[in-house]
Amino acid sequence: MIAQMKIRGVMFDPYNNSYIVLLRCEETQDMLPIWVGKPEASAISFALEGLSVPRPMTHDLMKILVDSVNAKVLSVNITDLKSNTYYAKVHIAYGDSFFSIDARPSDAIAFAIRAEAPIFASEDVMQKHDAEEVDRWLENLKPEDFGKYEV
Amino acid sequence: MVRLKVHGVLADPNTDTQIVVLREDQGSEILPIWVGSTEGQAIRLAIEGVVPPRPTSHDLLKGISEYLGIDVSQVVVTDISNNTYYASIYVKTNGSEHTIDARPSDAIALALRVSCPIYATDDVMKHRAGEKLDEWLETLDPENFGKYEA
Repeated sequence: MIAQMKIRGVMFDPYNNSYIVLLRCEETQDMLPIWVGKPEASAISFALEGLSVPRPMTHDLMKILVDSVNAKVLSVNITDLKSNTYYAKVHIAYGDSFFSIDARPSDAIAFAIRAEAPIFASEDVMQKHDAEEVDRWLENLKPEDFGKYEV
Repeated sequence: MVRLKVHGVLADPNTDTQIVVLREDQGSEILPIWVGSTEGQAIRLAIEGVVPPRPTSHDLLKGISEYLGIDVSQVVVTDISNNTYYASIYVKTNGSEHTIDARPSDAIALALRVSCPIYATDDVMKHRAGEKLDEWLETLDPENFGKYEA
């Protein structure tokens, strides 16, 4: 079973001096927070806000490469969580074949937004992450922290 | 066009900026390019041959091009305009060649990973920010050298 996720937002986590990409399951409303570095958070925020940047960013190049051969990003999947590290795969269709590439979730998500591909999380990941911890963390958040994508 | 090698990446401990120092392959001319710290890090990892536990953005970029059968043949620093450097990535797919506009930092980080040559146009070498580098180097503490040199 996999769950389709929507990006709820990108926020600064002052407790860990890091950024969080908050994904939410469309069906169950369960939250999946993924901690990412600042550059990755920027790459995701820019794309979410549809900001046009003066020069192509690294993830724009990925999209340009895929488009240049008429390949298509089918989806990205958050596949696993091991020792606090999330794993993801990017699924691409090219001609008659299709392949999956190992990626960090931050890259996979930044790429998915640009390629307009859906984001999924495996049930395993949804179960493994500490839901209680997320709830506690969310309770500490001020409402104004939401909706703010700036990094 | 001049072929260049990545000589090193200098980090400015006081700002978020790094300098990728490119050097003529057959000569001593230097082309410094200012990049963000993330991009500097991506280039440094490649020169040091460090394989991080998880693929970086540029490793993913390389992976995508390999899976799609895209051959990256060379990257060229093509222009400087208003202190912004421009680069082109030359790619071959199914026998046809075309170029992709990119920031030099991405182009260089990719070039090092696919082992393709890096060039700069004569025009860029003529208009490079050499004076700015000298000025910047003078502000550096000598002990910062070596520490950050890759």
